[in-house]
Amino acid sequence: MRRKTSNVLPLTALFVLLGMTWIAISVSGQGAGYVPSTAKGDWPYYTADLKGSKYVPLDQINASNFNKLEVAWRFKTDNLGPRPEYKLEGTPLAINGTLYTTGGTRRSIISLDGKTGEVNWTYSFREGNRAAIAPRQLSGRGVAYWTDGRGDDRVVFVSTGYRLVELNAHTGAVITTFGEHGMVDLKVGMVKGAGEQIDLETGEAGLHSTPLVVKDVVIVGSSFKEGMTPVTHNNTKGMVRAYDVHTGKQLWAFNTIPRPGQFGNDTWENGSWAQNGNTGVWTQMTVDEDLGLVYLPVEDPTSDYYGGHRPGNNLFGDSLVCVDLKTGQRKWHYQIVHHPIWDFDLSSAPLLVDINVNGKAIKAVALPTKQAWLYTFDRVTGQPVWPIEEKPVQQSDVPGEKTSPTQPFPTKPPNYARNFLKVPDDLIDFTPEMRAQAKDLLSRYRVTDRPFNPPLVGDEKGLLGAINVGNAGGGTNWPGAGFDPETHIVYAQAANSSAAGLSLRKPPAGFSDLNYFSGRNDQPFREALGPGFGTAADSPLAKTVGRPQEPPPAPAAGRGGRGAAAGGGGGFGLNVDGLPIMKPPYGVISAIDLDKGDLKWQVPYGETPDNVRRILTEKGIKFGNLGQNGSVGLLVTKTLVILGDNQVTNPGTHPRGAMLRAYDKQTGKEVGAVWMPAPQSGSPMSYLAGGKQYIVIAVSGGAYSGEYLAFSLPENE
Amino acid sequence: MNFKNSALAIIGLVALGALYSNLHAQSSRSVWDGVYTQDQAKQGQALYNESCSSCHGDTLMGGESAPALAGGEFLSNWNGLTLGDLFERIRTTMPQNRPGSLSREKNTLILSYLLSVSQFPAGKTDLPQQKEVLDQIKIDAQKPDKK
Repeated sequence: MRRKTSNVLPLTALFVLLGMTWIAISVSGQGAGYVPSTAKGDWPYYTADLKGSKYVPLDQINASNFNKLEVAWRFKTDNLGPRPEYKLEGTPLAINGTLYTTGGTRRSIISLDGKTGEVNWTYSFREGNRAAIAPRQLSGRGVAYWTDGRGDDRVVFVSTGYRLVELNAHTGAVITTFGEHGMVDLKVGMVKGAGEQIDLETGEAGLHSTPLVVKDVVIVGSSFKEGMTPVTHNNTKGMVRAYDVHTGKQLWAFNTIPRPGQFGNDTWENGSWAQNGNTGVWTQMTVDEDLGLVYLPVEDPTSDYYGGHRPGNNLFGDSLVCVDLKTGQRKWHYQIVHHPIWDFDLSSAPLLVDINVNGKAIKAVALPTKQAWLYTFDRVTGQPVWPIEEKPVQQSDVPGEKTSPTQPFPTKPPNYARNFLKVPDDLIDFTPEMRAQAKDLLSRYRVTDRPFNPPLVGDEKGLLGAINVGNAGGGTNWPGAGFDPETHIVYAQAANSSAAGLSLRKPPAGFSDLNYFSGRNDQPFREALGPGFGTAADSPLAKTVGRPQEPPPAPAAGRGGRGAAAGGGGGFGLNVDGLPIMKPPYGVISAIDLDKGDLKWQVPYGETPDNVRRILTEKGIKFGNLGQNGSVGLLVTKTLVILGDNQVTNPGTHPRGAMLRAYDKQTGKEVGAVWMPAPQSGSPMSYLAGGKQYIVIAVSGGAYSGEYLAFSLPENE
Repeated sequence: MNFKNSALAIIGLVALGALYSNLHAQSSRSVWDGVYTQDQAKQGQALYNESCSSCHGDTLMGGESAPALAGGEFLSNWNGLTLGDLFERIRTTMPQNRPGSLSREKNTLILSYLLSVSQFPAGKTDLPQQKEVLDQIKIDAQKPDKK
């Protein structure tokens, strides 16, 4: 009896001790496991979830109280780097009330208390010249998050110098067991030509998007400089790679430019696969965890507007590729543009929506694009859900260019914004005189009755360019679209008035090995650097990478005010009395019912820009909401679609600024709007912290440097 | 108080009053008040062509990713802000591939050129280089009389 007691007591004590320790560890947070999900009010991925939905099932903030939203806190990114940034594009992640994101000209990583905006920790490291000359700079789109569910929580991101880094999510300390002291050098393995490793410092490669973290795998894309005026067609070759989240060991690599013997290599005629590059995946990827399938939206091959050095369809440029999560093997692909020369990069996350079409359940993938077509496929087989027809298109007359005789045209759903300029229907029509002026202006350009009007060699004495809509900026650009997984509705904001006259020129002597690229021979040469380029933290110290530059042009002496450089964008030169050549709405928000393949509703995006308002008012022309151009991201909740203006306006009905607007998900009716001091520059997100719902959005632009703004309802709501 | 002291007090008050109204007049200046000189604009044009025109265009109409620096959209974007706001933005972030590499003086000259292209009138006094002083000059898209 005595012996039993003496055994039981210590044993009991041991169990009690163990139990208390277990409780202590759970409560401390350091060893506690937390698996985030949108169902809990988290935002664990750039796109909310792995399927790209941007959806969080919250409605504490709803139509009845949206107008009461107040700024709960704000976080300026000015001092994360040697100077402020004016192009903050991050979307924070929210895990159990803590935010993780990037910020500043050095792309620092920050962890904030989601209730107050207080800094938990920040992290940055000096990468030197490699980052200073990198092609994709500033704070980028954000970070990724990985957890083992038992307290090993990590922030995973790509630095401006193109390194994959893992940090302890609680402390910001580098996970030294990952890669080499916490880092994987992503430039290692990047090649150009037939397989020549690029220089680790000066080689061109970088990334804005966040890595894709799924199970224990980190998948990373690749990005390069803007492709309008490249110095060589033999640029770095894009690739997509997967790494083990623990060790940083590469698990697989997918060559977006197929090598000899690989499927698709013959779509690069005359061995041109070896003399071209780009064709990266610079935007967000998505993955079906259950099926083990990853969806890669691939960009253009080198030289966005001229393909004379790469005859053939150029797989997998401008293609949606489905690969196996474990092996990286291609399962299926669909090329959206054959022999890409319109800067129609696949620009955003493919949406993995489960739909029901004519009684048939389909696991689908819907791809928003710059062409404002939502290409929809069975995501297992790659079969289009609705027919996509190969139709004949205008052929190029540029020397050395060989365009595809046809391009794919989806039959359903209909395009959710303009993708070509229909003359005269799409032309400005405030007055008959304005429409006549528009037609007159267009007589200097080649106009077609469908998209895919190939660039031409523009000339003051002949045609100035080929009219296209939505290149470069879309339609839908990097901010992408979202969907409601319960109703199978896709919500997509899109630019609706980006017309350009695409023109090519011969590069200045010694500048490039391309026969033609973006520009016009009779205009001064302008290298297209792209937004944000050169703004990195250490940029003024950057050595130029041995490129001869044309001497600056003599002061302007009576040149016409057209400034008609080729490439996408705001239609400079293509305007009538200062108004866009296209009639409004200048931007739209659409709801697309994917069970039916139809538009459910479409409303103008934002509000009338100030200069349009001023001009029309001066002319005594009445107008309603004409919308704004531009591509922005949105957020979907249980009842609302939420997004902000990308321009500052001063219409008299609100102070000079931009509005964050909420729309009824069912009808598109604007049900609320709150004021912001600057335009939306990053996509909004929403989460719960302490049981309260917050909306956080990055704003910046003009005179307003980067800031994360957090909105919540007042205390007594 | 004797006569001398009273006189001094009065002079002091008058001086203060003059100073106050001068400051007040300065703080309600706008780009329509002749805030730069022709000479500054001329020097600014050469600097603009060298450092800015490759992205913003030789007639300031903009390029692929560089906005126009004159015209309706530009003025709408900056209407209501001050020259200090515009100056700081240019000084700290431009030119895009060499941000902050131009001196304050050069930025002032380039800004003068921008003002001249938008047809704001030149005047007798130089456009200043200090942000705080530039903060006192408002950018008004509309000429005051027109309102």
